[in-house]
Amino acid sequence: MQTYFIRRLLLIIPTFLGITLLVFTITRLVPGGPIERIIMQVQQMNAAERGSRINFTKTNQSQPLSDDQLNQLKKYYGFDKPIFVSYFIWLGKILTGDFGNSTRYYDPVLTMIVERMPISLYFGFFSLIIIYSICIPLGIIKAIKHKTIIDNSTSVIVFIGYAIPGWVIGILLLLLFAAKFEIFPLGGFTSDNFFDLNFFHKILDILWHTALPLFSYVFGSFAVLTFLMKNTLMDNLASDFVRTAMSKGLTFKSAIFKHALRNSLIPIATGFGNNISIILTGSFLIETVFNINGMGLLGYESIVDRDYPVVMGILVISSLLFLTGNILSDICVAIVDPRVQFK
Amino acid sequence: MGKDYILEIKGLVTSFNTESGRINAVEDITFKLKKGKSLGLVGESGCGKSVTALSILRLIPKPAGNINSGEVLFKNNDLLKINPDEMHKIRGSKIAMIFQEPMTALNPVHKIGKQITEMLDLHKPEMTKNEKNKKALDLLNKVGIPDPERRLNEYPHQLSGGIRQRVMIAMALSCDPEVLIADEPTTALDVTIQAQILDLIKVLQKENNMSIIFITHDLGVIAQMCEDVVVMYAGKIAEIAPVTELFKNPMHPYTKGLLESIPKLDNIPKTKLNTIKGVVPALNELPKGCRFQNRCPYVMDICKNDPPVFIVKNNHKASCFLLQGKFRNE
Repeated sequence: MQTYFIRRLLLIIPTFLGITLLVFTITRLVPGGPIERIIMQVQQMNAAERGSRINFTKTNQSQPLSDDQLNQLKKYYGFDKPIFVSYFIWLGKILTGDFGNSTRYYDPVLTMIVERMPISLYFGFFSLIIIYSICIPLGIIKAIKHKTIIDNSTSVIVFIGYAIPGWVIGILLLLLFAAKFEIFPLGGFTSDNFFDLNFFHKILDILWHTALPLFSYVFGSFAVLTFLMKNTLMDNLASDFVRTAMSKGLTFKSAIFKHALRNSLIPIATGFGNNISIILTGSFLIETVFNINGMGLLGYESIVDRDYPVVMGILVISSLLFLTGNILSDICVAIVDPRVQFK
Repeated sequence: MGKDYILEIKGLVTSFNTESGRINAVEDITFKLKKGKSLGLVGESGCGKSVTALSILRLIPKPAGNINSGEVLFKNNDLLKINPDEMHKIRGSKIAMIFQEPMTALNPVHKIGKQITEMLDLHKPEMTKNEKNKKALDLLNKVGIPDPERRLNEYPHQLSGGIRQRVMIAMALSCDPEVLIADEPTTALDVTIQAQILDLIKVLQKENNMSIIFITHDLGVIAQMCEDVVVMYAGKIAEIAPVTELFKNPMHPYTKGLLESIPKLDNIPKTKLNTIKGVVPALNELPKGCRFQNRCPYVMDICKNDPPVFIVKNNHKASCFLLQGKFRNE
């Protein structure tokens, strides 16, 4: 077992290098980037000046910067070196913990990410608790009450949630509960007077602000886990060992909870470790709808703005989390299923 | 019910809801089990042997299956009428069951020891934990499992099929049941292991004075294990007789066919084995009248009617029109 996990941990290194090298190369090949943005900015500035002095003679519109200036910029951003060389320079910096600065806001990338993490953690943690604490009991009930009204009606609700995108639910909720009935705020994470509130009211304020976005986050996530739980439990209820348990004199209820349930948790444990990536969760659409400055928005904007240090910084953290999440899942499976032996 | 008998099944009908409607898996099953003796339930796959056994313990999967009518008298107590709590107390402690598939009948995520002591937790709550563990160890010893201390802490997947079936037997015997229902306990095992398991069951039966219902499709096993035999075909009883009587003097054409299809030592080598022509009709398209008519070599016009039960001899009954006029109706 130990050697297996050591091997898995070592495998993170080549996988990580592969992922980052691929994305790094893509950032070099796609059009756009900091230099193009600076050129655009200079053009806009020129245009604005021209606007004030109407009868100015035409200058070269296409390229306001001289070659010398361009080369200086390329050198500053490291675009003058070949891809591999600059990749390894970047990698060396990452290994020392230097994520670089944003080419857009000129802030350190790491602080930008760390600043948003509490919001992602908040949403990730609560959606995790809500999803698991609803899906597992609901799956059990649906399996026992298969094809009854309870089963069918919850299926309809769960699938409606699955079919509607989260941001659409967000807009609908805002229209209904923030615009029409003004029960919840229109957006944001905290009130304006947040820092004047006492601790208890601070918590209430956050809960009040996040109720609608949280609902939009989780409503679509019930279907998969609920049905995984229901179907595996139903398989196990029909299995021979549950019949054996019943023939020993157990009640149906204890046969479910002592025998069928533990076996049904095995497939659910398979995905459990990946919840570690809640640190970086966030959907930019929902964040946009509710005006929350979270990780989803940061990731999206960094790509649109070609803010490559931020893109790479998020990629480094998310790929590392995902890779360790996979190993954690393996450990979870090994805990619930004694048949699993890693060699 | 006479005092020699411990279990009596009367007119049992169990049905299942399927996509093609409600079908009776067993119909009008009636037999008695003698105290301390073995009764064999024999027939082809799907003839209702297991459904009969599961009906006795009320383990028919709900809501698809349902026991429609009949009585299961255990010491003059109708098990189909008692409330679920009393039934839970009888399962395992008074009537225990072992199953066909030792590979899947044990829970893969619990240790062997835990699965055995669970039975004691349920029916002998007065025992202490140490006593239970000791009892589990004794049981594993009794069923001939080598190195039982180690086995107690192992999971089912670490054991072979034969050992697992021994564990199942140990589990079933842990509360000294009066009746053991063995549903094809050796079908999934190879012949050597099969012989060992059969011997083991026989020895334990003598020790505990246990009554056994032995379900199998193997007439050889029946001859070795049982005093009485019930031959079932397509959900109904074809013939009931003491074992020697059945082998010597089979009355129902189906029983005859079964006996003829056993290969014999004095057959000429490489000749074809005798078979019963045709296949068992599906339960939703049974012919009207005798259910064996489409395969029976002696089929007559009268077979379109339901055959009555004829009493051939004391304890020997068969349900076939060939016996009409020769023996009296039940």
